[in-house]
Amino acid sequence: MTAAFAGLDACVHCGFCLPACPTYEATLDESDSPRGRIVLMRALERGEAPADDDALSWHLDRCLGCRACESVCPSGVSYGPAIEEARARIVAVRPNPPAVTAGLWVLARPARQRLAWWASRLARATGIPAALARGAGDKAPLLLQMFAMLAATTPSRRRTGTPTHRSRGRERPDRHAPGGTEATAAPAPDTTAALFRGCVMDGLFGHVHDATIRALGVNGVRAVEVRRQVCCGALAAHGGRPDLARTLARENVLAFDAAAPGVPIVTNSAGCGAALKAYGEWLADDPLAERAHAFAARVRDVSEVLVERGLVRPGRLPLRVAYDAPCHLHHAQRVTTQPLDILAAIPGLELVPLEGADRCCGSAGLYSLVEPELSRDVLAPKLRAIAVSGADVVATGNPGCLMQIGAGALLAGMEVEVRHPVELLDLAYRQ
Amino acid sequence: MTHTSIALAEELAGIVGERFVRTRPTELLTFAADGLPTHRAVPACVVFPGSASEVSAVLARLHARGTPFVARGAGTGLSGGALAEAPAVLVTLTRMGRILAVDAPNRRAVVEPGVVNATLAREAARVGLHYAPDPSSQSACTIGGNVAENAGGPHCLKYGVTTNHILALEVVRADGERVHLGSASGEPWGPDLAGLFVGSEGTFGVATAITVRLVPVPPTVRTILADFTALRAAGEAVSRIIAEGIVPAALEMMDRSAIGIVESSVYAAGYPTDAAAVLLVECDGREGAVAADIARAEAICREAGAGTVRAARTAAERERLWQGRKKAFGAMGRISADLLVQDATVPRSALPDVLERVAEIGRRHALRVTNVFHAGDGNLHPNLSFDAADPDELARVAVASREIMEVCVAAGGTITGEHGVGVDKKKYMDLVFGPDDLALMDAVRGAFDPSGLANPGKVIPDGAARPWGPWSPA
Ligand SMILES: Cc1cc2nc3c(=O)[nH]c(=O)nc-3n(C[C@H](O)[C@H](O)[C@H](O)COP(=O)(O)OP(=O)(O)OC[C@H]3O[C@@H](n4cnc5c(N)ncnc54)[C@H](O)[C@@H]3O)c2cc1C
Ligand code: SF4
Ligand code: SF4
Repeated sequence: MTAAFAGLDACVHCGFCLPACPTYEATLDESDSPRGRIVLMRALERGEAPADDDALSWHLDRCLGCRACESVCPSGVSYGPAIEEARARIVAVRPNPPAVTAGLWVLARPARQRLAWWASRLARATGIPAALARGAGDKAPLLLQMFAMLAATTPSRRRTGTPTHRSRGRERPDRHAPGGTEATAAPAPDTTAALFRGCVMDGLFGHVHDATIRALGVNGVRAVEVRRQVCCGALAAHGGRPDLARTLARENVLAFDAAAPGVPIVTNSAGCGAALKAYGEWLADDPLAERAHAFAARVRDVSEVLVERGLVRPGRLPLRVAYDAPCHLHHAQRVTTQPLDILAAIPGLELVPLEGADRCCGSAGLYSLVEPELSRDVLAPKLRAIAVSGADVVATGNPGCLMQIGAGALLAGMEVEVRHPVELLDLAYRQ
Repeated sequence: MTHTSIALAEELAGIVGERFVRTRPTELLTFAADGLPTHRAVPACVVFPGSASEVSAVLARLHARGTPFVARGAGTGLSGGALAEAPAVLVTLTRMGRILAVDAPNRRAVVEPGVVNATLAREAARVGLHYAPDPSSQSACTIGGNVAENAGGPHCLKYGVTTNHILALEVVRADGERVHLGSASGEPWGPDLAGLFVGSEGTFGVATAITVRLVPVPPTVRTILADFTALRAAGEAVSRIIAEGIVPAALEMMDRSAIGIVESSVYAAGYPTDAAAVLLVECDGREGAVAADIARAEAICREAGAGTVRAARTAAERERLWQGRKKAFGAMGRISADLLVQDATVPRSALPDVLERVAEIGRRHALRVTNVFHAGDGNLHPNLSFDAADPDELARVAVASREIMEVCVAAGGTITGEHGVGVDKKKYMDLVFGPDDLALMDAVRGAFDPSGLANPGKVIPDGAARPWGPWSPA
């Protein structure tokens, strides 16, 4: 798969990507910059540096995969596929840390996840993780950080309330009766979209799925459920396990083609969306290649679907909201305006500017657990900007970002709430 | 790594902390090139001092050992100036990125060398002021690097290059001694030592604190984009605008190749891709004067044969036009990853002829030439695209580069406008300087750094300077 490295050939070493890179901003070390990492990847490709070289993996592992470098590169360097290929080569000779291996193992099969999510929700419902983490500070031990991340997935919040009407104790609503049942002006659906549920999204953010289904319903889109779908494979691809990523991709292509052939696929997770849209490249050499391409072409972020249709006017929601763009939506999918359009359409909602809204928050999949220190350094300017913005709510459309920023705010004892833009839209429809 | 370099790295770690010394061979590779990767050199180690006193302690240590060093900012230089070859140590200043003071009433600021040019511009704008030198690389390059290269930029036509904006410097000399050059408040007594340091390409020592001049933001700014069906016509328009005594804030030219490259990038600015060349003309100042100058410039462009002349209607549109221009060099990778950018200046009256000669040289050597440059300054940047894996093409690039330089010098120009000599332009020094000139340069350098440890092997061609004496032997 050296084709992945060929995407680096256009690099002229100009350095324009340096200031866009969150890890360079944190360390100011060329080796932690996109340009430096391109040099490292080229050395790996040419065999000048072995894949088990300590320094090589150290700097490449510290890459967030946020792809902010791609958005600013005048020469159009394709960085994302190259870093995944480099990771794969590194992991082939030096396996991931046990926690990552275990995490990927769990995510590979829905049955393995069930227990983990159930236990997590149970712990979350006690309120203990949140109580322990609140105000514990950003230097708190890793366990407390993880508690904070779990607490950040809690559906009900002080400012925005508990909008969901759900069967208690279960994260999932009734899968067979989706749609905007409660929405005041729900039209008869004139189209359908297959909901991609994902792993973490489904396990801990069922309330966002509920909100998505309702908001789509209000706008005349009936969400179709696809059984047998699995994790998108993004975490596996970023974690140097393209084999696993491809296996999951194949399963998803088969599952969606069987249950909802030709139907648009809608996701509310930026990370999943970027992966799903890359299935064509992932499975380029696979017998399923053609179907994977067609699958990828059908994938839309929920914000794209809603804005393309023209939003049904929501009710008032008097909140000060700052939008933080998930990297995998903004840089990887280049979906930049739609989430803002949605927020701007809500009467009473005041959109406040957030400095560095297009910069990574340091979540990046499992990164915050594997590189906690650098992840924290990357998050710090984000939290400062949020404080300056004066927002009541930060809106961001990706589970990792919701957890990272939510956890950071909780540990810092900040008042701000972190929610998916679609949750706010749903809330506005229900006013 | 040798024993001496391990020992050295440990000593340096004792000064700056272990985290801020890099010695592993693979990570040193990432410091082997600047913005001109056709030259490479791997340093013995990289050290990241966090303050002027750490710089001083590091240099003193290196001096005691007789180890050479090279300062580095963001590594966007285009002449190989920030390259260090082991046993030389690379002293990277990116951590020293604090803006120490913005003194709005006195229109000046004090910054550490690692501050990025665009960051200073943004901070100055907060108090209604402006840092004028704006190299196209400003989003990445550092003020320390700008001082060392005497950087220019599109808006230096009216406002002057870096040296016109540096009031005072704190410099750590090669032996670790901290000295102060220039004066923050008005003209200092005696020769302009700060001015002498600006443009010294890291060979005089390390700038650790820089006092810059800020200027008020002009009340009115107007920008037009004129397109031409011939490169020569665009060159003539430039000569005429300057000859008429108009001083635009900026006057830039891009040829068809450059336009096509930018328009296919994320910085597409809506330049007409069918034009042979475009001129970007900007005037600023008081409303009436600006309107008159822009009208006159537009008329001259039309007389010279411009097709359409478009004015930027909003600040955002102006910004887009400028982003396209400034990112053009970085977009060159779209046609080939290997490129060489020249940096010659010529008298502006000679522009039309020189542009034609350069195009002819490119044709003769079957090389793609892309022009995007500071036309108002007569500062040409012909980019030669090539494939480094093709030895024949590589040889043609070398010959064509020299021919281009010769044409520029013959027209009354010189071999570098703003990128500096570094290692890349050393081979052209003989086109403009004789042994006496070089000897004087060497002597001035020796006055700042008698040890010769600061950025050795740069600027002055090896063995070309005769030993300095008060007069030339007959
Ligand atoms: C896309 C692109 C566009 C460019 N456009 C322009 C332009 O319009 N105008 C222009 O003038 N240049 C331009 N350049 C060249 C380059 O950006 C400038 O020369 C810039 O000043 C270099 O700054 P730097 O921080 O990257 O320095 P580096 O490349 O790191 O170093 C350059 C030189 O400065 C020395 N140095 C660095 N810091 C210090 C210090 N604190 N004290 C003493 N010496 C030091 C180094 O030893 C070296 O010799 C461009 C480059 C690129 C890649
Ligand atoms: S901006 Fe693009 S071309 Fe420039 S150094 Fe970064 S990756 Fe390379
Ligand atoms: S993907 Fe993000 S963290 Fe990685 S090099 Fe690019 S900008 Fe930096």
